[in-house]
Amino acid sequence: MSALITLDRVSFVYPGADRPALEEVSLRVAPAEVLLVTGETGAGTSTLLLVATGFAPRVVGGRLLGARDIAARRCTVVFSRPWTQLSGLCSTVRDEVAFGPASRGLPRETVRAAAARAMDALGVAHLAGRDPARLSGGELQRVVVAAALALEPDAIALDDPAAELDPAAADALYAALPGIAASGTAVLLATPDLDRAAPVASRAVVLERGRVVAEGAPGRVLDGTTVAVIARAAGCPPPLPLDVPALARRVAR
Amino acid sequence: MTLRDLVLIRLGVAVNLVIGQIVAALLLPVYLDSVGTILVAALVGPRAAIAAGLVSQVLNAVISGNFSWLPFGLVQVVIALYATAAARLGAFRSYATAVPAGLGMGLVAASCSAPISYFLFGGVTAGGVTVVTTVVRALGAPLGVAVASASYATDLLDKTIAFVLVTLLLRSLPRTLATRFPALAR
Amino acid sequence: MIGYVAGRSILHRAHPYTTLALAGAVLLGAFAMTRPLQVGLLVLGAAGFAALGGGATLRSSAKPALLLALPIWVLLFVLHGLLGPEPRVFFGPVRLSAAGIATALVLGGRVTAIVLAFLTALATTAPHRLVEAMTAGGQPFGRIFLLSSTLTVLPRMRERAALILEAQQCRGLRLGGSPLARLKALGPLALPLVLGALAEVDEQVLALDARGAGDRREGGEGGGGAARRTALDPPRDSTAQRVVRWALLVLVLAAYAWKFRSMRG
Repeated sequence: MSALITLDRVSFVYPGADRPALEEVSLRVAPAEVLLVTGETGAGTSTLLLVATGFAPRVVGGRLLGARDIAARRCTVVFSRPWTQLSGLCSTVRDEVAFGPASRGLPRETVRAAAARAMDALGVAHLAGRDPARLSGGELQRVVVAAALALEPDAIALDDPAAELDPAAADALYAALPGIAASGTAVLLATPDLDRAAPVASRAVVLERGRVVAEGAPGRVLDGTTVAVIARAAGCPPPLPLDVPALARRVAR
Repeated sequence: MTLRDLVLIRLGVAVNLVIGQIVAALLLPVYLDSVGTILVAALVGPRAAIAAGLVSQVLNAVISGNFSWLPFGLVQVVIALYATAAARLGAFRSYATAVPAGLGMGLVAASCSAPISYFLFGGVTAGGVTVVTTVVRALGAPLGVAVASASYATDLLDKTIAFVLVTLLLRSLPRTLATRFPALAR
Repeated sequence: MIGYVAGRSILHRAHPYTTLALAGAVLLGAFAMTRPLQVGLLVLGAAGFAALGGGATLRSSAKPALLLALPIWVLLFVLHGLLGPEPRVFFGPVRLSAAGIATALVLGGRVTAIVLAFLTALATTAPHRLVEAMTAGGQPFGRIFLLSSTLTVLPRMRERAALILEAQQCRGLRLGGSPLARLKALGPLALPLVLGALAEVDEQVLALDARGAGDRREGGEGGGGAARRTALDPPRDSTAQRVVRWALLVLVLAAYAWKFRSMRG
């Protein structure tokens, strides 16, 4: 299958920064996959998402080196704080989700249909008449993801989408991801929350200081993480914990 | 205008309206309702600053209900242009230049708002200024003098503090953030 | 309460441009009128406009309008009536300036008419209908965005200001003291507010860009390029309303022409 996005030895430097945020990263994103990008804070996971989907340097500025080929017709991105991502023009969830396709100038019926499909996919159809400003964080973030999907993108980048959500809302959001990928939108997911992300990811990439240090099936790749190594040394049976809080819980037992 | 300019203008408007809340908590005798406009002038440029000033004026009216002050939007345009010029001349690089530039802004702003206040509203406008006007008038000064002295007194103080505050803000901008504003480098 | 009040009156159903044109005409007309009688007629006109909005609108616009105008009336009577020029006339026990009273009536009437008209427009124009009307009318995205989205970010900004105030007080910042001490407290309060907001700018720009907001001029991808936004539920306009709007424009121009002619003559 041909790749949606291909990066070949790509480096990226933010404006005013001394060292590159990404260094010689090579990556292929296939259609309909959930690609997990993980690493410690500052490893460059957010940057990789922006570079892969074409938003860096076009929107944020900076310098890109190496070869990048984005075959995806449309890419979109969602961040952790749902309230920074509202259009501010819409007083109902229905209109907020329809904002993207309406911006493209599509016929009214097409816009409404795309919005309805996206709301169904994220399970927010029952909120259609509500004011986005009055939703809970979890509801709002699912609305934001639905609004991104309504554009019917080939790839969607989710930058730690559940960081501001309570555990139940985070579970609900992650549970929707495989369905999104299956319907034809590649999902690029950056998060340190490996416990939730690993089960839904089809492939994982681990970054360290802007470089790819591991890539492959989530189970295999994440087995090599420091946390997994410690857990194995401590005698934990598989499946191994993937992050420090999970390790602490297992050891405490 | 780019999307980035639009988002920055929106930020400037919000700063204009919300700084007032902080000033009120501190019981300071100023409004500081143009800090956002001045900031946008320094970070983006004149067109964006004018937009920020005018939108703030309209929004202030929508929130307070006091739509009769809309003609003072003209003062916002003058503030935006003056602040852009001051930024390009480097007024925000140090407090030593910000204070005189702020006083100048106060003079210019009052020279615009006093005639509007006198001719359109007979000197009766927003609360604090009008009290000063009334006191000066009661002391025996002609109405024109009363309106002008009240405008100048409040605007000189208000705009000087606003300029010093914007200087402080620009100096505290982290370098990674500062490089994103080409207008700052000029 | 200032703001939109749902209803089914003729003003609620009118095209938003028509309602705003009426309020705008009152604003511009007010400054063209220089005699108490003229301004009195304008106040009556504004009251008639408010009455078109129905009972609920009248209650939600007339009461705040009067509350806003009241202190201005009081100050006007002090500044112009008590402290106005000679000759004086007696109103019961007080001696007031005759010319000053006329001035106060004109100025107070202006403010009352303007505030009443705009509060009525505000109470009868649903914000999303205005957005839809502007979108359908082909207004640039930036203009719609600035009018509509600035209002929606205010509550969060206010919330954040309150949080910072609380946090800095917990860390020992004192809000009282001499004026200079209070002035110095301004920095630690304003800095985190503004820097925090600036740090969110990139995210907001990316979110808008990713959803195809803005047309070419605003630097967005616009999804399909420079496509014009689709208005999903544009309010209905009519020839009669267009005629009303043009007539208002002509009336305002005529009022100013008449004012300047009588000023010369």
